[in-house]
Amino acid sequence: MRFSITNDKGMYEKMKKVSGRTMSLALALCLSFSVMLSACGGGNNNNTAAATDPPAATNAATTDNNQASTDNASADTAGTPLELAMKGDYKGTKVTMFGPFVDADQVKFESSIKDFEAKTGIDIQYEGSKEFEATINIRVDGGNAPDIADFPQPGLLASIAKTGKVVDLTSVLDQAKLAANYNKSWLDMSTMDGKDGKIMAGIWNRSNVKSLVWYPKKQFDEAGYKVPETWDEMMALTEQIAKDGDPAWSIGIESGAATGWAATDWVENIMLRTTTPENYDKWVKGELSFTSPEVKNAVEVMSKIWLNKDYVYGGTKSIVTTAFGDAPKPMFENPPKAWFNLMGNFITSFFPETAKVDEDYDWFYLPSIDPQYGKPVLVAGDIYAMFNDRPEVRAVMEFFTTGESIKTWVQSGGVIAPMNDASLDWYSSESDRRMAKLVQDASTLRFDGSDLMPGKVGAGTFWKGMTDYVSGTATLDQALEQIQSGWKN
Amino acid sequence: MVGKKKKKGSKTVVNIVLGIICVIWLLPTLGLFVSSFRPAADILQTGWWKVFPHQEWKAGDTIQLSKDVDLRGPIEVNGKTYTDDQLKAGVKADDSRLIWENRRARTVNSQEQGWKVKPDLTLDNYNNVLTGKEYKLKEADGSETIQKGTGLSQAFWNTLTIAVPATVIPVLIASFAAYAFAWLRFPGRKTLFVIIIAMLVIPIQVALIPVLKDYTALGLNGSYLGIWLAHTAFGLPLVTYFMYNFISQLPKDLFESAFMDGASHFTIFSKLILPLSVPALASIGIFQFLWVWNDYLVSLIFIGNQPSVQVMSMKIADLVGSRGNDWHLLTSAAFISMLMPLAIFFLLQKYFVRGLMGGSIKG
Repeated sequence: MRFSITNDKGMYEKMKKVSGRTMSLALALCLSFSVMLSACGGGNNNNTAAATDPPAATNAATTDNNQASTDNASADTAGTPLELAMKGDYKGTKVTMFGPFVDADQVKFESSIKDFEAKTGIDIQYEGSKEFEATINIRVDGGNAPDIADFPQPGLLASIAKTGKVVDLTSVLDQAKLAANYNKSWLDMSTMDGKDGKIMAGIWNRSNVKSLVWYPKKQFDEAGYKVPETWDEMMALTEQIAKDGDPAWSIGIESGAATGWAATDWVENIMLRTTTPENYDKWVKGELSFTSPEVKNAVEVMSKIWLNKDYVYGGTKSIVTTAFGDAPKPMFENPPKAWFNLMGNFITSFFPETAKVDEDYDWFYLPSIDPQYGKPVLVAGDIYAMFNDRPEVRAVMEFFTTGESIKTWVQSGGVIAPMNDASLDWYSSESDRRMAKLVQDASTLRFDGSDLMPGKVGAGTFWKGMTDYVSGTATLDQALEQIQSGWKN
Repeated sequence: MVGKKKKKGSKTVVNIVLGIICVIWLLPTLGLFVSSFRPAADILQTGWWKVFPHQEWKAGDTIQLSKDVDLRGPIEVNGKTYTDDQLKAGVKADDSRLIWENRRARTVNSQEQGWKVKPDLTLDNYNNVLTGKEYKLKEADGSETIQKGTGLSQAFWNTLTIAVPATVIPVLIASFAAYAFAWLRFPGRKTLFVIIIAMLVIPIQVALIPVLKDYTALGLNGSYLGIWLAHTAFGLPLVTYFMYNFISQLPKDLFESAFMDGASHFTIFSKLILPLSVPALASIGIFQFLWVWNDYLVSLIFIGNQPSVQVMSMKIADLVGSRGNDWHLLTSAAFISMLMPLAIFFLLQKYFVRGLMGGSIKG
């Protein structure tokens, strides 16, 4: 590599002489070039610029203006933002939304807001990304936050809420209405630490139930088995099925970089059934150590199924290598090669298309272990947070607190509405209806613990530790210590 | 004689090594290609090589055992005893093997080997990717409507709209810069050049948030102009360096005679440099085009995922669904997205090879 090239002096001087003309030529070229560029880009620019401009200003102003603007709104008898929107006051405005659902989920979401968009004239521009968790931080830090973001993990929202960039909904939404439309557990879960004290960081729009054991109903009935009501009955049935010739459980926790998350659902479910909800909350907050007897006991209860090669399809070794979405497949073979799969209601999208709900497959509630803890239900869900405070965004947020906003999605199946005004009649399958009822009647409702823990634990050592334990590379004590170490750094 | 023989021998070695490397590279690609024609359930169960004619066990006679055989004890079949594990894996005996047919019903099958010639292939994967998936929605009255998703065509044009300017702009700017660095004398030339080279080692990730902030202020987010500029800026150091290497190697007598005839810098650049550096332009053009075409990160940050601007790589990532339930579509989508870079590569291939060799031989 040569960095300098020696030219003879004469040529260099000649170059100098002509450089004046060259400069102007080059300048003209550059200019025309940039004009061409901006002309091409201009058309698209306008579409998106409107939505991206305000955040910097509004973010700073929200905390101060919130109080003032709501006072104005309530003094004005015209109605809530949603009512104003329904009158067409915000016609032609745009609200940007960013979330993790893509593909089929996106289609279902868009069809459920179509009516609202047509009635109000507000254009909700939804953008889905598989990389939501990674991108939302960059967008918020870069001042390009969407108006509304959909967080599948409240832990992530909590970390953003701490920076003060999330609009506090306490004064934006009518609290009395919210209290009437949501189970108190949901509202408690949406209160998070803001920059200056507690704020209401978001509202819950769709939820999943995670205490379900799926089974092939038709063959199950034919075989003469009965749905177990208690844990002991379930274990007896498991043994019975093993004697009859099949492993009862099909379990898979492989999920690429997220391998191990399915195991956390098991531990959380058993925790809720073997100890108090208060202990569960402490555990989620990091006050109850993973090495404590409560947690250890929960994993041991789980191990009685997981580590018994007669109870698990493919044996214990296959748990770590089977993708969670492929795990239920043996249940749909004829005759079934496995009978039970513990998973949230979203797993139905992995079932064969030919299998019919209520006929070919159904679910039963993962039975209680200790009757004194009632019927706890483990849920997960999506919390919608607001980043830019504009009247039309308020209207859309208010709309999302109504069951109407998720009605068509509920009809299509695969999701449970957390709002009380969502009618049970909307569910098109008996299975979904029972699920919604299960959530409504739950004595204890708790959110998926690993989604609430800080990422280092809930999406880090917890996954890894469980995977190591199941694959046999770590003993139970080692694994629990390893998980607990995630809290330290 | 000896020398020639030696040369011939080393050539064979080189060819063998190249052949092995080719196989290592091509075999997974071939597997992916075969998989793209297989139904998802098959991909899960057997390897892609099972589409070729092969021997496999075929069901033969069923042996019914007594219903109350204890599976945890020794199991007697035709006078011999086996364990459960043996029967799960299959026990070979002569030409047949014993394996559970239905463990629950206590039937064992004595399988025989046979040839399987006709593979189960399907075009569904390509259909779904190209024309869009079908989504079932239930209406209030319980009726089902099928909504057709979008295919790849919109994303294809979006990507092309991004990739072509994002290739042409940096290559053009870099050629100007390379000419200046190679043949013009101006103060700070060396320093500037070193700075540009130094920028090669800066990872683009560190620039994402600051650039995004500036874009937000300028309203460039989500626009084509924004992403062209982003790709241009991220690509410029390498392209400049590459073009400098080539242009600085051109014989200087050429320019001297051009100057004697009164040619300006711009004339020299457009009439001499550009035509002479076609091989270099083509090869760096391919590099930059491939990089932009396959890019996911820069698009994710600066242009987002709205259908009107979504690029191929993001559309393909979305195809698998929120929870990855349609992973098998990635096989066909990968091949479709590969077509464009392949076409470009083969079109410009002869320049590509010349471009890579160019500097080294003359230098």
